[in-house]
Parts: sequence; structure tokens; C-alpha cells
Amino acid sequence: MSGAPAMGSVAVAGGGLTAWSAAAALKRRIPSLDVTVVTMPVPPNALADRMISTLPSIHGFHRDIGLTDEDTIVRARSGVRLGTLFDGWVEGLPDYVHAYDPYGAPIEGISFHQLWLRERREAALPPFDRYSRAAEMGRSGKPPNRTDDTFEFGLQFSLHLYGEMMRAYALHLGVAERRGPILDIELRASGNGIERLVMDDGGSVSADLFVDCTGPRALIRSRLKSDFTDWSQWLRCDRLIMADAPPAADLEVMDRATAASFGWQWRASSPEQTSIGLAYSSTHVREEALARELVPLGIAAASDAVALHQGRWGDLWSGNCVAVGDAAVAVEPLEWTNLHLAHSQIDRIIAMMPGKDCAAVELGEFNRQCAAEADRVRDFLCLHYVCSRRSEPFWKDAAAVAPPDSLAHTLSQFAERGRLPFHEEETFARDSWLAVTLGQGFEPRHTDPLAGLVTPASAQQALRTMRHSLDRPSPAIPTESLIDLNPRGAR
Amino acid sequence: MEEQGKVRLIVVGGGTAGWMTAAALIKLLPGRCDVHLVESEAIGIVGVGEATLPHLRSFNERLGIDEAEFMAGTRATFKLGIEFRDWGRIGDGYIHPFGTFGRGSGDIDFHHYWTRLYRDSGEAPPIGDYSMAVVMAYLNRFRLPDPDPARLESTFSYAYQFDATLFAPFLRRLSEGTGARRTEGRIVDVELDGESGDIKAIRLESGERIEGDLFVDCSGFVSLLLGKALGEPFEDWSQWLLCDRAVAMPCRTRTALTPYTSAIAMESGWRWRIPLQHRTGNGYVYSSEFISDEEARQALVSSVEGEPIAEPRVLKFKAGRRRRSWVANCIGVGLSSGFLEPLESTSIYLIQAAITSLIELFPNPDISPADRDEFNRLIDMEYDRIRDFLILHYHATERSDTPFWDYVRTMQVPDSLKEKMELFRERGRVAKYREGVFLDASWIAVYVGQGVIPEGYDLRAGLPGSAALRQAMEALRSEVRTTAQAMPDHLTHIEHYCPMEAAAA
Repeated sequence: MSGAPAMGSVAVAGGGLTAWSAAAALKRRIPSLDVTVVTMPVPPNALADRMISTLPSIHGFHRDIGLTDEDTIVRARSGVRLGTLFDGWVEGLPDYVHAYDPYGAPIEGISFHQLWLRERREAALPPFDRYSRAAEMGRSGKPPNRTDDTFEFGLQFSLHLYGEMMRAYALHLGVAERRGPILDIELRASGNGIERLVMDDGGSVSADLFVDCTGPRALIRSRLKSDFTDWSQWLRCDRLIMADAPPAADLEVMDRATAASFGWQWRASSPEQTSIGLAYSSTHVREEALARELVPLGIAAASDAVALHQGRWGDLWSGNCVAVGDAAVAVEPLEWTNLHLAHSQIDRIIAMMPGKDCAAVELGEFNRQCAAEADRVRDFLCLHYVCSRRSEPFWKDAAAVAPPDSLAHTLSQFAERGRLPFHEEETFARDSWLAVTLGQGFEPRHTDPLAGLVTPASAQQALRTMRHSLDRPSPAIPTESLIDLNPRGAR
Repeated sequence: MEEQGKVRLIVVGGGTAGWMTAAALIKLLPGRCDVHLVESEAIGIVGVGEATLPHLRSFNERLGIDEAEFMAGTRATFKLGIEFRDWGRIGDGYIHPFGTFGRGSGDIDFHHYWTRLYRDSGEAPPIGDYSMAVVMAYLNRFRLPDPDPARLESTFSYAYQFDATLFAPFLRRLSEGTGARRTEGRIVDVELDGESGDIKAIRLESGERIEGDLFVDCSGFVSLLLGKALGEPFEDWSQWLLCDRAVAMPCRTRTALTPYTSAIAMESGWRWRIPLQHRTGNGYVYSSEFISDEEARQALVSSVEGEPIAEPRVLKFKAGRRRRSWVANCIGVGLSSGFLEPLESTSIYLIQAAITSLIELFPNPDISPADRDEFNRLIDMEYDRIRDFLILHYHATERSDTPFWDYVRTMQVPDSLKEKMELFRERGRVAKYREGVFLDASWIAVYVGQGVIPEGYDLRAGLPGSAALRQAMEALRSEVRTTAQAMPDHLTHIEHYCPMEAAAA
């Protein structure tokens, strides 16, 4: 029972920005902790450490640990991203934008999408994403107006600068650094916890809590309970090829996710670099086709593919070891959730920090919340495949798979009348779900009966007004001052 | 997509559930359904739920009901929470507030600081001293909440205590004015479709036959359609919620018009006290296994304040719910779908939740199973959460002074509740959910109020120095008190805002 002594020391294993972010957050928000980062090289499939694109939730993480836009955008030379352009996911449909700003606005209290769906049966209307200010701006290639501080946007990292910034910040807060490699991991005699990390230099690292940020191999967490849940039946991409290129000549405020014949490819750009890559299924790939896919990406055909096994640990936290980021949940970089999940797990560790004894009842609630969140992210990624329509075998298989129960429930509710049932621990807002379902042409059979309260005339009028308001030219700002954005959320 | 036809909706029963359903559907789905309500004045209504939860306000708002008019018309008073006396131990008391403890903002939930104060020194002022709603309630003050979230005056919400027998007529006037049909008559037969199992029509004593596409069963305990005609089984929860009777008796009283409802533990159950503008509702909810009707009646009569207005009246019930609330083309709303004792004023809330879900999932004439299943999932969730919350009140007790209390103290509770209690006891964590009734503050109020005090607290609550913490807590406590003291008296506010007609007094 919690007369148990308080958690005193934490060892964070991992050398990438996930580990340094975890360490900085722990030290800053619970200063009484002794925090040590045990560093090691970042494996190629640790995506939270390697992807440059982030979700808007990163601003909250920064705010909570006392970092300002000055630190994370200006000095770390981050770009701004308004969303992702999805191209080719459904044959015969135009590309669509998933942005984080609202799509349309409720009309007389009724959801925008319901009235858009209803009125579109009467007369041709612009696509759903043409009602999103952020999506429009993303397509125009213009960054948001600096006076416009209500925008939801993510960041595009200049990866090494951001990583350095986070490391420097953690060290400044008093986090200790211990260089690896780790030679051995000693378990407690009981077998249900970690005793210490035996280091290469003959020393060792002991701690009350071990935070595993070592990427999908989960160097430490994998030594405890083996309860890895496999997601590959739903998320079939098990290989990644990625490369860095110079930054785009004109800053890009949207990244791209383009369907390929046996997977999908991305392209994202920050002021310092462009990240390109291909995620694909090794069972569907054909070598000569792979080489062809890589040419336009500018990646050498001989590039090494990195393996990715999608899924999560049953209990992210087991004994005195908690897995974070790719060590906890391994998913493809679609929708850039890897770092977001890491941040969310770090936040939960802090908010739900148990006693030194890691009582089962406390870990249980932590694990329940983390699992619900991860599963819902899985559902959202799976949604892209289930709603895809392409003729290649990879895509036919992806669309044909029976979705996880929680996604099947959402899909059946949506199919009926465009309703998106509430889920606890949901990462993506309703408008995100709508952007993907409607962007990929998955439409409900009926409209919401409540929509009947709005007359066709007033619905059409409101739709026109919304569309027109987005046609007003928005004053663009020179790209140089992009990083001089009005500090957002900084306090 | 296609256009849907209008649904012929038959509401069976004209109590609170029936008229709430009729009023909401006619207002919100005017183009989708024709509402026809069938009731018999001879049957009368149970009129449960004189006390409500804050959610009712959004229901009324959606229906465009003017608050002052509604309150005057139902002789309502304001309600800031529920007072519990003698539950954890004889002599203990606390209020479950409609509001937060502390300012309700910040990174760390307030009760962790309170726990630290309590654990460090072995004593602390009651946690209610740091809640606006609790302090206002005890001081008998009321004012509408301030919309500015930065202000302490924004940290409470409120509900109503009203005369439920006046609410249905109030809604009836509203609904009939907007197009609901009403037929007077007793239902003698329910006609089922042999093939689909759907209800085709109901037949009245007069011989009239009324056909419909969708039937809403608001017939009360008898559950005429859902229970009787369709035979949906009843899931019995009386192993945990033992009370199966209530004896009720209103009194005229001049004692203070409290802005809260009281639930006072009794020998074999508990007693409610609900102050309205014109009378005080009283009742003893008890278990017939532990006390006889006569003993209960006497216990009630000897404990109420003021002059009785009516003879004590006994009601019988059983805790539990129909396995499904929506079966075939019939939806149970209110008591026909289940019953939970009025300990936390959930009856009208459950009616409202069913109506809200029905509107959200309102079917086409050919009902889709996806709508029906989703409706049942949502209602199950509401019932299950309320069930655990109610059981907590009985189980978290040190009382062993009567066989009833000793039984509930030692009984096996559902695992879902056991885990919640262990989690809270360990470090004050409340199992989180964002959807549904009774969020964190409600659970914290009952846990702490009934002696489930966390052993540990959030590590971050340990950061401030002891003296600084003590000082900040004391400053907050005194600010809460000063702020509440500056508010008008409850009765004064009512007289100014929503007095009932003089004739009713």
C-alpha cells in the first residue's frame, strides 16, 4: 500500500529525442526525481526518434515542460505543418487534406458534415476539405498568417537541432547522462522487475524505475512479461525505406502521403531537411517494382529496408519498467503518431506516478489508459486502409480485412448516419475522422434526423458563406518570417 | 442516400418520462415523427425524482424552456448537491457537490493536496470546506454560476428540486401546443407481429386500436410493452442494492429552504428530505428484509419536520434493469426500463439519457440493428456506472450497528467497484472517464466523505513546502467562505427569481 516510499530515481534508456524528452519532462515536472539517461545509438526503426513531422499535441507537451516557441520553433528551426495531403488512396477520387483545424462550422447547432452530406444530394458541392481553412492554406502552400493564433498546427523538425535542443534542456534541468552501451540487464530475483543495467565500462545503473525508450526492440521491457500483441493483420506494412534530402526550395506547410502499389510513401520538409520514405509490405512487394517506386523518391535502389513489426505490449508498464514510444507501441509513421504516443505516455507516467513498489492497482489503471489510447490510434490508421480502394493485391487485402472490433463499431455507426461514437482516450478529433472517411469517399446511408431542423435554404446559404469566406486571399508572409511565428501557447 | 418517411411514434404513459419524451421529440424531430401519447389519468404517476442532476438544465434549454417560468411552475428550489448524514459513521456528514473541490484547474487534482495535509498531520479541515458548492449549501446561499472560469464563482453547477407531479403537466402544455396528440385511455392489449416480433398496435379499453412504427414504453414499473408484451428479462441487482420499498410523506415546513437535498442514513436504509417552495418531500427507503412497513412508517413519521400534508404512502420496487432497453420497435424510457433508488437523483437523468440517445439514433421506419445495439450499449454504460456509484455509498461504511449496515458493509461488491475503490485508496486516483454521469469530483466526495482516504498522493503534491502548502490551503478555504458569504440567501434568490404563484402556497 502506498505508505510505500515515493519513487526516487529513474533511468531512461535510449539515445534519441524520445529518451531526452522523457527525461526532461520527468525532471522538470517532478524535480524530486533523480533522472539519468543511459544513452545508446538510435536504431533505424525507432520512428518517434526519426520522423520529422509531429501532431499539434506537441505544443502542450512543450508548454508543460516549460519550453517556448522560441526554443522549439525559432532556435530549433522547425517548420510548421498544417496537415497531410493524401493522394491516390482511392482510385478515381481526388486527393484530400487531413488538417487539424475545423472543417466547416456547425449550422444552427447541427454538425457541418451532416448538412454538407445532405445538401450535396441536391446540388454539386465542393469536396469536404474545401471547407477547412487549414486545408485550403495547405494546398495554397501559404503558411498561416502570423496574427492568426488560433490555428492548429504540428511541427516539421530539423531533427538534429531539435534533438540537441531537448538534450541540452534536459541536462540544464539536472538530468544526468550515462553513456552506453548496456552489456547486460539484470533482473530482480523475483523475475518481475529490473535490478540494474550492467554497463560496458564495468559500472552499473540501478534505479527505482526504468523507462525504456530504446525503440521497437524494447531492450529492457522485453525482458519482462512477454505479452506483445501483434497488429500485422490490420497494419501490413512491415518494411520501411527512408532517406534524407535537402530542404525544399520553398517551405512546405503540408506533407504528403501517397499510395504506392504495395504500400505508401511520404515526403515532409522542414527548414533543414526533407524526409522521404516508403512503407510497404514484404509479402506484397516485387523487387523490380520496388526499384521503380524508389526512383522518383531519389532513393538508391540498393537502400536497406528496415523491419517493422506493428503492435504493442499488453502492459506498457510491467514491474518497475515502463516502455515509451516505439518501445511501447510500434506503428508505421502514417499520421505521425509515434512521437505523439510517446508524449502522451510520458505525460501519463508523470500524472499517475505510482510509489516505488509499483503497486499492481496503480499500474493497472495506467496500462488500461495507455492501451485504450494506442488501440484507438491503431483504429485510425487502419481506417485509412479499410476505406481505401485500389486494384493492387496489397490494397485489396488491406481493404478486405475485418477491422478490429472497436473500429468495426465506429464504421458501422458511421455507415448508418454519419455518427462517430465517443471513445475514451481518443487521439484524433471527430473532424480528423471525417477528413479521412469523407476524403476517401466512405459515406453514410442516411443523414442525422436532427439535421431536419435546418431548412435546405439556410443550410445552402451557410455552406456558401463558409466557402466564400475561405476564398478571401489570406495575406501570405515571407517564408523567412515563418519561424518568427507569433509564439503560440507560450506563457 | 434516400429520404426517410415519417415515423409514427406512440408514447405509452404520461408521467415524467412520457411527457419528457413527447416534448423532446416533437421539438427536435418535427419532420421525422408524429408523436401520439396515450395515458390514463386513472393510473396516476409515481412521480419519482423530485430531485434532479444539473444535466436537466441542458434538456430544458434545448427545449427552449424558460428557467424561471419552469421553476415557478414546478415550485422548484435550487440544488447545489446532496447531503449525506450518518453514512460512513453515525454523526458523520458531507455534501456531494455539483462542482469541484478547489479551483478545479491546474495540473494536479486538488484532493491530492488535501490528502497530503491530512496524511502529514493526521488531520485536515473537511474537504468540503474547499468546495464552493458545499460551502454555499451549508450557508444556505445561492447565485447563478459565473461564466468566467478564472473565478471561484464558476466552480459550481446546480440542479433543481421540484414537484415532479407538476413537471409532466408543464411539459404536456408545451407538447400539445406544438403538435403532440394525446389519447386518454387504459391499454388492454398489445398486438405483436408474429413474424418480426414488433409491436403492431395497442388496443384501449374503449376498443380504439392505435398503430405505430415505434413505441416508447413510459408505463412505469409495470413495463407494459418492454416487460410484459415483449418479455424482456429483468436483471436483478438487489444483491447489492437491498432497498425494495419506500414510504413517502410530504410535510409543510417553515424550516430553512436548503439549496440541497438530504439523504440521512436510517436503521435499515435511508431517508430523503427534499425542500420545495411549498412543501418538503420526505421518504424512507428501506429493505423489507430488515424492517417492516409499519416500523418504517413510524420511523419516518417520527423523524420528519413540520406538519404532514398527506398520509404516508408505501411504494414497492426492485433495483435492476431490463436486460435491453430497446427491443424490436419498443424503447423503454424511465421506470419501465429499470429502477435505481433515488439516492443520487438519477431517475430523471436516466430518462433524459434515454431520450438523448433515442434522438441521436432515431431510426427509420425499418429499424437498423446498428441503431438499436448502440442505444442499448449507451444505456448499459449509464446504468452500470450509476450502479457502482450507488453501491459505494452502502459499502464504504464502518457501521455495524444494525444488521442492515453490517450486511452492506461486508457484502461482495462488483469487481468493477472493488478495483475503483482500491485504486482510490492507494493514491487517490479516480478511474477516469469523460462521458457519462458522476465524474471525478462526485467519486472523490463520496470516498472521502465516507472514510475512504487515500494512503498516498500524487508525487507532485509533495513538492511545495509544508508551511507554504498549509498557508495556501488556508487562504483558499477562507476565500471560498468569504465568496459564499457574499452571496444572497437561497430563499431571497428564489423570491426574486422564480416565486411560485401565491395561490399555490
